[in-house]
This record gives sequence, C-alpha cells and structure tokens, in this order.
Amino acid sequence: MNGRWRLALLALAALLLAPLIWSVASALPPFGAPEAAYGPAVNALLPGARNVSNMVAAVNFDVRGIDTLGEESMLLCAVVGAVVLLRGRRGEDRGDRAGRVPGRPIVERDDATILACRIAALLVLLFGAYVALHGTVTPGGGFQGGAIAASGLLLVYPGEDYSCWRALVPGTVLTVIEGAGALIFVLAAALPLAGGHAALANILPLGTWKDLYSGGVMVVVNFAVALAVVGGFGLLLIEFMEETRAPEEDPVPDEEDR
Amino acid sequence: MTSLPWLAALPWLAAAWLFAIGVYGVVTSRHYVHLIGCLSVCQSSTYMLLLGVGFRRGAGPPIFYDHPPGTPAVDPVMQALVLTDIVVGAAVTALLLVIALQVHKRCGLVDPQRLRPLRGPK
Amino acid sequence: MTGPETLLPLVVLAPLGMAALLATIAHWLPSRMADVLAILTALGIMLLCGWLAGQATGGPIVHWFGGWTPDAAHRPGVILGIAFVADPASAALAAFCALLFAASFLFAWGYFDEVHSHFHILMLLFLAAMEGFCLTHDLFNLFVWFELMSVAAFALTAYPLGQSSLEGAFSFTVTNSFASFMMLMGIGLLYAGTGTLDFTAIGQAMARHGPDPVILGGFCLIAAALLTKAAILPFHFWLSDAHAVAPTPVSVIFSGVMVGLGLFALTKLGGQSFGAGEGAMAPVRALLLWLGVATAVVGGLMTWGQRHLKRLLAFSTVSHLGIMLLAVSALKPLGAAALLLYLVGQGLVKAALFMVAGILLALRASADEIALYREGRGLWPAGVVMILGGLILGGLPIGLLHGGGHLIHAAVPSRVAEGAIILSTALTGAAVLRAGLRIFPGWSGVPGVERGAPTEREHEKADRPLWLMVLPGALLLVLVLAPSSAAFPFLAAAAPRLLDPWAAGIATLPEEGGTLASGATFAATLALVAMSLLRRRPTGRLARLAAWGERLPFRALEAAHSGVVSDYVTWMTAGLALLAVAAASWR
Repeated sequence: MNGRWRLALLALAALLLAPLIWSVASALPPFGAPEAAYGPAVNALLPGARNVSNMVAAVNFDVRGIDTLGEESMLLCAVVGAVVLLRGRRGEDRGDRAGRVPGRPIVERDDATILACRIAALLVLLFGAYVALHGTVTPGGGFQGGAIAASGLLLVYPGEDYSCWRALVPGTVLTVIEGAGALIFVLAAALPLAGGHAALANILPLGTWKDLYSGGVMVVVNFAVALAVVGGFGLLLIEFMEETRAPEEDPVPDEEDR
Repeated sequence: MTSLPWLAALPWLAAAWLFAIGVYGVVTSRHYVHLIGCLSVCQSSTYMLLLGVGFRRGAGPPIFYDHPPGTPAVDPVMQALVLTDIVVGAAVTALLLVIALQVHKRCGLVDPQRLRPLRGPK
Repeated sequence: MTGPETLLPLVVLAPLGMAALLATIAHWLPSRMADVLAILTALGIMLLCGWLAGQATGGPIVHWFGGWTPDAAHRPGVILGIAFVADPASAALAAFCALLFAASFLFAWGYFDEVHSHFHILMLLFLAAMEGFCLTHDLFNLFVWFELMSVAAFALTAYPLGQSSLEGAFSFTVTNSFASFMMLMGIGLLYAGTGTLDFTAIGQAMARHGPDPVILGGFCLIAAALLTKAAILPFHFWLSDAHAVAPTPVSVIFSGVMVGLGLFALTKLGGQSFGAGEGAMAPVRALLLWLGVATAVVGGLMTWGQRHLKRLLAFSTVSHLGIMLLAVSALKPLGAAALLLYLVGQGLVKAALFMVAGILLALRASADEIALYREGRGLWPAGVVMILGGLILGGLPIGLLHGGGHLIHAAVPSRVAEGAIILSTALTGAAVLRAGLRIFPGWSGVPGVERGAPTEREHEKADRPLWLMVLPGALLLVLVLAPSSAAFPFLAAAAPRLLDPWAAGIATLPEEGGTLASGATFAATLALVAMSLLRRRPTGRLARLAAWGERLPFRALEAAHSGVVSDYVTWMTAGLALLAVAAASWR
C-alpha cells in the first residue's frame, strides 16, 4: 500500500473512532472517584491478614501471585529468546577486542572515571539489594530492586576493561541465578499443594508488621523475583555488550547455508 | 468541576491521544528503532489509562508504613497491574531490539517499509 | 480440597518448573536429556488434563490461588483471588495442546543442537502459557498467559535467524504487541466499569448494569485483541509471514492450536462475561459472521495462489479460522461444540501437514511445490500423509474435521456462510492436494496462478531418520480419522459448560449424515484438483486473456499482503473501528 493510502485509511479509522472514544471517556467514572470495590477491599484486608504494609507487593506476591509467576516466566522467556537470537551463529565465546567503528576515536579510561564507577557501582548494588529486601515494607520489591542491581552491574563496565568486566560478571553464574529464581517461585507455588493447601498459599509464619520479615511466603517470592530479574537483565547486558566486540570471523551466514 | 465536564475525562482522552500518535508513528516509521520507540509510546498510554482508573482524589499511596492502615489510599490492584505491564513491555522491547539488531547485521537496512519477508519467485 | 482440585494448578506449574529447571542446569545437561524431559512433561500434562476433563463433566473443577476463595475476604460480592476453572471443554483443549507439543518435540528430536536446551525452555514456557490460557478464570491472568504465549512465539519465530525469519518475526511482534495493548486497555475499561476481573463476576455486573459504553468499549478492545491472535480479517496479515518462516516444529504449534485459542477465549468470554447472545456480543455477532465469511474466502483464495508450502498451509489456517469464527458468531452450545470439534480436527491435520513440509525442507532443501516437482519420489510415507491430509481438508466425509464442519453447517443456517464454507474448504483442500500430487507422484498440469507467488530457497537440518520424522504426523492423522460420533457424548456435555461452567444441561447435536453440503464440498475439491491437473499452457489469444484475468484478483490480494508492518497496523486500526462502529450501532 502506498504511504498516502495508508494515512488515508488511518485517518478514516480515526474519524470513525473519535466520537466513540469520546462517549466511552465521558461514561467512565470521573477521574479521582473510582467505583471499583476490589482495591479498597485489598487496602482494608491485607494489612491485618498478612502483616504487610506495602499493598502493591501484597497484591503482586500474594493475592495475585500467579500473575507475577507468569510475568517472571515471561522475563525468563524474553531473556532466553534474546540470548538465543543474539548468540546465533556467533557462539558463546568472548571477543576480547573492541569493535571498531571507522572514524570514531577510542578514548582511554580516566582515573577519575574508574574511581567514580567503582564507588557508584558498589553503592547502586547495595541500594538495589536494600530496595529488593524491603519489598513488603516500603515501596519497592523484587522487580524494582533487581532492575537497580542490574544497572549496578552495568556500572562496573565503565570502571574496568571488558575482559575484567566479563570475569566479574560471569554468564554461567547469572544463568544459574536466573533459573534458580524462577525455580524457587514455582516451588513456593507448588509445595503448599503437597500439604493440601491451595497453590501459592501463605503457609509460612507471617512475621511482624513493619519488620523486614513480614508476609510469610511473600518474602521468599520477593527474593526469587529479585534473583530472576538480576540474572535476566545481567544476561541481557552481557549479550548486548558482546555485540560490540569484534568478531573473529564473519558470523553472518548465507541464506542457503543453514 | 461540573462547569468543565471534559476535565473529568481528560486523563482518558490523553491516553487515547498517546495511543493514536503512537500508532501514527508506527505507520509512518522509516527506522526500526524509531518504530520500537513508538510502540513504547503506545504502551505508556495503557499505563496512563490503568493508573488513572485507580486514582482516588485526596488519597495517599497504598503503603501503610508512615500512615496507619485505614488512611485513604489509591487502588493497589491497578498499580500491581501496571507493574506487570512494565515488565511485559521490557520483555517485548528487548526482543524487538534484538531482532532489529540482527536484521541490521544481516543486510544493513533498517527501514521497515523497504523490507519484505518472502521474496518474489526466483 | 479434592484430588482434581489439588492437581489442577500442576497443569501450569509443571511445565514452568521444568523450564526453570532446564534454565538452571542447562550448562551441564547431557545432550538428549532435554528432549526426553520435554516429551515426558508434555505427555504427563496431556494425561493429567485428559483425566481432569473426564472428572469435570459432573461439575467444574475450581482452584483458588493463595487460598483466596470468594468467602475468604468476608466481603460478599468482592472477589479478591484468581481462580483456575476447569470445565470439560477447557481441560480437553489443554490436553490437546499438550498432545501437539509432545508430537512437536518428537518431530524436533535433535533439531536444535547447538544451544543448550534453549529451544525446550522456550517451548515449555509456551506450553505452560497455553495451559494457563485455557484454564484461567480471571481477565488479567488471561492477559498474562496471552503475553507469555506471544513472547515465546516471537522468540521461536525469529530462531532460524534468516532474513525472512527476522522480518516475519518483527511484523509478528509488532502486530501482536498492538493486540496486547488493546487487551490491556480493554481490561482497564472493564475494571472501571464493573470493579472486578473475574469472568463470572464481570458477567453478573454486566447483567446488572446493562451494556453501557464503557463495557462495550472494553469488549471491543478485547475482541480485537483476540481476533488478532486468531488471525481474522483484517487482523490476519501477520500469520502468513510468521508461520512461513518459523522453524517447522514451531509452525506445527502455531497453526495447530495457538491461533484457535483466540477464538476459544472469545467464545468463553462471550458466554461467561458478556452475556452470550443477548448481551454485549449481540450487536457484534452479525459483523463476526461477515468477518468469518470474508476471512474464509480470502484465506481460501490466497491458499490456492501459493507455491511455498508453509505459506500455503498458513493461509489455509487463516481460512479455517474464518470458518471457526462462523461457529463463534452463533454463540449457542451448538456453535461451541462445532468450534471445539473443528479446532481439534483442523489442528491435527494442519500439524501433520506442516511436519510433511518440514520433512521436505530437511531432505529436499526446498518448500516450493513447483521446484519440488517429482522430488518426493523416495519419501512415499510423507506423500501418503500429505495426500490424505489434503483429502481430509477438502471435505473427505470421515473423521473429526468432517464432523466439525457438519456441526458448523448446522449451527450457522445462513446461505452465504454455507457457500463460503464450501468454497474455502474446496480451495484449501484442493491446494494441498495439488501440491501433494505435484511433489510425490509427479502428476500435475502447467502451474497456474501459483507461479507468481512469493517463495524462497531454504532448508532445515536433517539428522534424524525419515520414519522418526513421519511418525508423529502419521499418528496425528490416525487420530483425526476417528469417527466424530465417538466425540459427540463428550461434546454434548462440554459445550454448554464452556458458556457457563455451572450449567446443568446437555446440548443436542444433530446426527451426522450425508448432506448436500458435504457432498458438494468434496466434489468441488476434486473438481479443482482435476482442473489444475488438466491445465495446459495458454496458446490462443482467448486462453491467454483468460489466464491474465484469472491472475488479476490473486495479484491484487498478494499485493495487499505486502509484508510491510505499517500496512498491517493500519488494517488493524481499521478493523478496530469496524468493531467499535458495530457495537455502537446497537441501541
């Protein structure tokens, strides 16, 4: 289809949809006055039922825990897919030389950069661990803390050179961490079944409100999610960085050569 | 509020507008990475709709650390849904970027309007 | 909790756990171990789901995750938790998914060697997502499994890393991402309008309020998302690109069951949440009927005009999905029974045919029917499977697919629909027969309109014996030849319970018998095959003019399926506008 025909069809569709969107928007409950009873019920029940103060984490890891299990599997799936697609013909081995883009200078690392990165990476990793561990108490949780810790992993790279970074951030360990996180979550869901409870039931002692250990199984699930996110994002970073290395030979195969 | 009824619907209209310009960006895109960015814009419109549905005027966050349980708080279910949505978006964006990278390695082109999955007959 | 209730979550937890385990120990696993574990997991899930389907005929098996049963909240009317509800149809479909996965794993034995069991991890996650999709009773949970299915499918499609695979995967990802955005917005609207995410609770809320714009809008968005997954015109453009370039074991799953799940979910939601025939779906039913007719006919025509086997089979899937949508538009228990039987029958045949295409790709390094002329000489088992599959697709009056078609004819009394079904069935069956006869015994006339279709040279790895590659396809074909009357008792109990899990009745299914429609279909198939066999090169002016005229509509259709993702997204927006206008015109 020609570009103009495309835009004409799009404009026609938008013209048809506009009044309908307007009628839906005016029929929705006014902004700031929701009518749903689900949210207020969670806010009222969960602090007493599970001794937690972070309601979002309570919904994510307890009330709607199976959603989070599916979502974590999705992360595992995307990382495995990305690893498979990026490694492709290239294989797993590390290229040690930097890839050269013609015309772009290679700048030597400054001492100040190295020092700043080493300090910053440690601080960020610590902060990520803090956010992850306090998931049931303050805003945060496994996903957020894991993402912060993964960016800490990347911060190590500007401070060291590539082979040192790859030695500090080993791919096999990250794979095991990621798989272990998913496995712990599945076990936390499946083991209560053996005792006759529902899947993902909160069978551990619930702990104390506002304490680091509160929420029972939520702590375990939170930890599993943090592991999986750190492992997953770390693997993604490694594979994308490997793309910037100079390949030993041309890895792009011919169409007929599969 | 009642003198400007469309103000109450503004967040929903803004979400619809974001979605519309995201679609426009995808349809007219000439670069894969730009297309992926436009998809992120569409994704943001879903966040906006979901979070807007959960908002309660005058209520605080659903974290009862400093405030006792029972203080008015916004809808935590919508926030949990958006959290899931963000992870989904991250997963799909990662895959799309990987595919775009591999397409570039293969033939150097990144224009979605110039590439075809199956060629004509040989 | 009873036995079936305790075992129900294992249907999803077992493949997830196995995938996580494989991801952890992948580095140290011996080479064939992943294949064995994957096949065993799939077979185990299939047996579990089959057992659950039998147990569910008395009443649905319900499992509330985390123990959050409706009374655990002490708030009548507010449902906090997520449930898996196994009615007989959902459990049976889950068993069918696992069966196809087991067949696909058997076919893929030794196919994906270099990467440490990553293919199996992706496929197991794919299986878990499908099982969750079939069994869940919560709208956002449905979305989560829908997304997991999609992400696994995106990664698996791009796997061969050829240029066409990558571009096909890209347009697949973009179009299905739009589908998921629409689904999310629909979920937001429904939550705002009804305050809950549970299927039954939404249905009750809808019965109380009546369909206001918010609920109708939410329904349109979710329907558009599910129709995209089910590849209905104008949301169907991604399918041919994706299925044609994905590795064969993956295409088996795509065409076999993944696309049918979209229609299954639409039926389930339509019955349980949107008030069946009287509620939100009522204004859209007529549109769904016409979309089904259009999809079936366009799909059939495109199938006839293809020469690349996998693209041919992909378009025939589109056509069959259109026929299945006709059953969905009826939305009575008869329509649900028709959908289930046709889905299973179509899935079995399509899986077997894709495996034949994979065999040809592996052993003859091509999937182009014209380039493969007479190349199938040494592969007669595959030829038997292909020709038999083509006959079944074309309306051979035995087996499950024929039974499903008979039920669809009974459920949709419209004349136009009947004509569309006959035409598209004949076109798809004849196309497969034409290809099979050309490749294996070498009987063919001069290539007609298919000469101008897009094609590609490619091959797949072949390091397993022919009998191992043919075995799963042959087994599936034996299954589809089972008499459909054997399935009728189960269907009669399962169909009403798909639309309402706590229903008590039994549907009455019309007796199977020779009807005018089935005879006409098979005759039309044979006529089309004969026409292609007897075609000669047009020498006279009139003959050349006729050939040019015959090519025109196919050229136009092929140009519309351009492969450009911007086109696809535009068509999807137009489709959403169609749905919205149809829903709004109901007042």
